Amino acid sequence: MKSLLCLLAFAAAANSKTILIVTADAADFVLAAGGTIASMTATGDRAILLRVANDDKNAWDLAPEQAAARTSAECEQAARALGIEKVVSLGYREGELGGVSPTELRDRIAFHIRLLKPDVLFIPNPYAEYVEQLDRHYTGMAAEEARHTAALRNHQPPLAAIGVEPHVTRELYYYAQPVDPRRREPEAAATFVPQPKVVGIEAAFSKKLRAARALKTIQTAAAMRIRQRLESTGRRLPLLDTVNEESVNKLVEIELRGLATLCAKDFPYKMAEEFHYAGPEYQVPAKLRR
Amino acid sequence: MKIPASETIRIAGKRRVYHACALLLAAWPAAAQKLPLGANPPGRTVLIIQSHHDDHTWEWGFGGFIAKLTGAGYTAYFVRTTNDEKDSAVGWGRGDEINHRESVAATRFLGVKDVISLNWRNDHMDSVPIKEVRENYILLIRKLRPDIVMTWNPWGHYDRNPDHRKVARAAGEAAWMAGLANVHPEHRAAGLEPHRVPFVYYTQRSDYGRGHAPNVAIELTEDHVRRKGEAFFAHNNVRGSPALAKSIRSRLDAQGLEIPELGGLTDEQAVEKLQKWSMESWSRQVGEQHGAKYAEVFYFRDEWDHLPGLAKYLRDNVVKR
Repeated sequence: MKSLLCLLAFAAAANSKTILIVTADAADFVLAAGGTIASMTATGDRAILLRVANDDKNAWDLAPEQAAARTSAECEQAARALGIEKVVSLGYREGELGGVSPTELRDRIAFHIRLLKPDVLFIPNPYAEYVEQLDRHYTGMAAEEARHTAALRNHQPPLAAIGVEPHVTRELYYYAQPVDPRRREPEAAATFVPQPKVVGIEAAFSKKLRAARALKTIQTAAAMRIRQRLESTGRRLPLLDTVNEESVNKLVEIELRGLATLCAKDFPYKMAEEFHYAGPEYQVPAKLRR
Repeated sequence: MKIPASETIRIAGKRRVYHACALLLAAWPAAAQKLPLGANPPGRTVLIIQSHHDDHTWEWGFGGFIAKLTGAGYTAYFVRTTNDEKDSAVGWGRGDEINHRESVAATRFLGVKDVISLNWRNDHMDSVPIKEVRENYILLIRKLRPDIVMTWNPWGHYDRNPDHRKVARAAGEAAWMAGLANVHPEHRAAGLEPHRVPFVYYTQRSDYGRGHAPNVAIELTEDHVRRKGEAFFAHNNVRGSPALAKSIRSRLDAQGLEIPELGGLTDEQAVEKLQKWSMESWSRQVGEQHGAKYAEVFYFRDEWDHLPGLAKYLRDNVVKR
């Protein structure tokens, strides 16, 4: 019996995948992809988070340094809630990626792709329209490019010299919160054709909720900004008459349920997340696929 | 594209009726799904952030909507980001000066209170760091505290103009980042508090392909359209090339045709009339598509659209104090 269990564990480990999640900020990957990531780690996949910016701006009544430090710790908690093994932070200042060299950012992400050799990449969808945080766009562009250059020996030649060999990542998930009105339009048939993909997340919703609630600094700031906007226009949201841990947690749950319902619309799920997905079959010309 | 009979201008000659609109070089709004007619958002102040002196007065610009808002009591400020030095036939410095003066004159037709020129170099915005332009806008947003920002679309496709692209992204980010206290915290020392802009309208260049799908139509009156036309033509330095009227008239003449309404007018007078017809026709055609006499179309970001998971809940549960 013991040897059978060992064999099963070995088989599961052999089938498990390594997932690298690239995120611009601490909230985006949780809100847009947290349920799917939690589902994958629950089945034995190993996940690592690469966090590009430091979230020093998205806070209420905290200096940038305090905001960055607190959100870093909270991001670690959120990642743990989703079963992510490790968080690597690149430390760029939030909202300032537009001033960072795209090649520098790409190469830093490519380094981690070559080092960690993921089977699956989650990256912000740089083509998702009306996402107001352009850091997500810049990160998505750099990560998409990094997936490509990480596979090529002539990029970053010194890496091979230290044993960090080129690597091809076979599966790619582009994630974004559902603000793009045209996000479900199918892409044209060409060689590289990531297609809309909807993933049910009911079983993983509680983990996603725990992760989102762990981001206390960001969530409290969001609640305070909503309340401030309402107060300045003579309105109120009864839930936010008092902003405390309980009301913020409730607001986060409402938000996550709202997101999950939006993404599940027209699909046989109660809760879902939406992606554009490029698996191996989408990376060859359509005419050769059969 | 077939133009309905109501859109034609009568041309006398061997052929009695001719679709003169086709000669106006206007790109006609593509057939589109009927959009909801948007109401004026609640508020008092609108900030129009454009790359150039005349962006808001083109057919696809915000001119009619600006006139509508100021008529309803809004205070409007116009930000002219570049110096428009290339948009002139009279040389850089003089062109900039004239374009600024005409920009002030044009915005008066629309009820705009002030023109704020940022003086970035025209057609060179690609090489300007986005953060620098964005900070200009954040400071102005915190000072003027607009309820509405109108600007170029950060997600627009096929826009070859570097100034449009940079302004779109910088203004799109400034509209929400101005609400974060840790973005340029030094502004607080000058008495400027954070302010997120709740309502944003992006230009939709329906002549630029499918990257420009509007989601709202703004109903206009004949007076709004007339004032937009006046504002358009107030940019004398770059409008009214008599060559356009000359070219149209010589092409018609070669076919034995003429436009009676242009008879006796100089080429300068004729081109003004043609361009005002073009503005009226465009606005009317857009209006007819969306159930109004006249209209403009834009992409509208409502107050809670940045929170897709909460937007419905907030709409359903927010109450008056």
